[in-house]
Amino acid sequence: MDLPARLRQGNLLPFIGIGVVAGLFAAMFGIGGGVVIVPLLMLVAKLPPRMAAATSLAVLILTSLIGVVRFAGTGHVDWVAAILIGIPAVIGVLLGIRFQRRLPAEWLILGFGVFMIAIGLRLVIWG
Amino acid sequence: MEHAPEILALAAVAGVAGGILAGLFGVGGGVVFVPTFVFLFSFDQLDAQATSLAAIIPVALIGAWRQSGEGQIDWRAAVLMGGGAAVGVLVGAEVAVRLEEATLSRVFGAILILVGGEMIVSAVRKLQAKRATPAPAGGPRRP
Repeated sequence: MDLPARLRQGNLLPFIGIGVVAGLFAAMFGIGGGVVIVPLLMLVAKLPPRMAAATSLAVLILTSLIGVVRFAGTGHVDWVAAILIGIPAVIGVLLGIRFQRRLPAEWLILGFGVFMIAIGLRLVIWG
Repeated sequence: MEHAPEILALAAVAGVAGGILAGLFGVGGGVVFVPTFVFLFSFDQLDAQATSLAAIIPVALIGAWRQSGEGQIDWRAAVLMGGGAAVGVLVGAEVAVRLEEATLSRVFGAILILVGGEMIVSAVRKLQAKRATPAPAGGPRRP
């Protein structure tokens, strides 16, 4: 069953829960919300991997905005540096999506697993 | 901010790399951006994280716009998760300010490793199952 069908059945609560968990862990451990959202969307909401990744990006619009609003007044955001990285990153995200289109779902899951292990190892090693 | 051209070039490469991860996996790219700010621009951790969030805004916007055009995003689910995440982030940020203990991070890291490992195993199994099934008629000819 695809996500729209799932939503028509009115089972929306899991998505709010996934959001809360992702936001909490992201802020607590200094990681991105995506690394929590994507596996939960695949494993709990049973979304196909590509849709999970895409929908996660949509969530990140809101979470990054909120994060910046929260930090902006405290002088922690260096806007010049953000633009220096952000503009090449926009080129990167378009390349990544183009690459993702050609990648079979299994390889996408495999790649994401490797990504999760890398993040996990960093947390285990450096705390 | 004055930086040598090679530092700026490295930053651009890191930006593209983080962006590719973002597009492929639906993460923000902060995993690349934060260390870039720390090592190339000598930011402290908090400045690096805050600035990384700012850099993620255009990435998430453009990436989501592109994916949405291909029908890959359910915006209702995204908005619900975003609302939930907003609550989670605000609570989590308060906790993080006081969280000096690294043990919890390590436990969480171990969970990520386990889930990641499970994903790899399941993906490999599916790939093997695919390989075991004979190619459908009209598919590539086999020797």
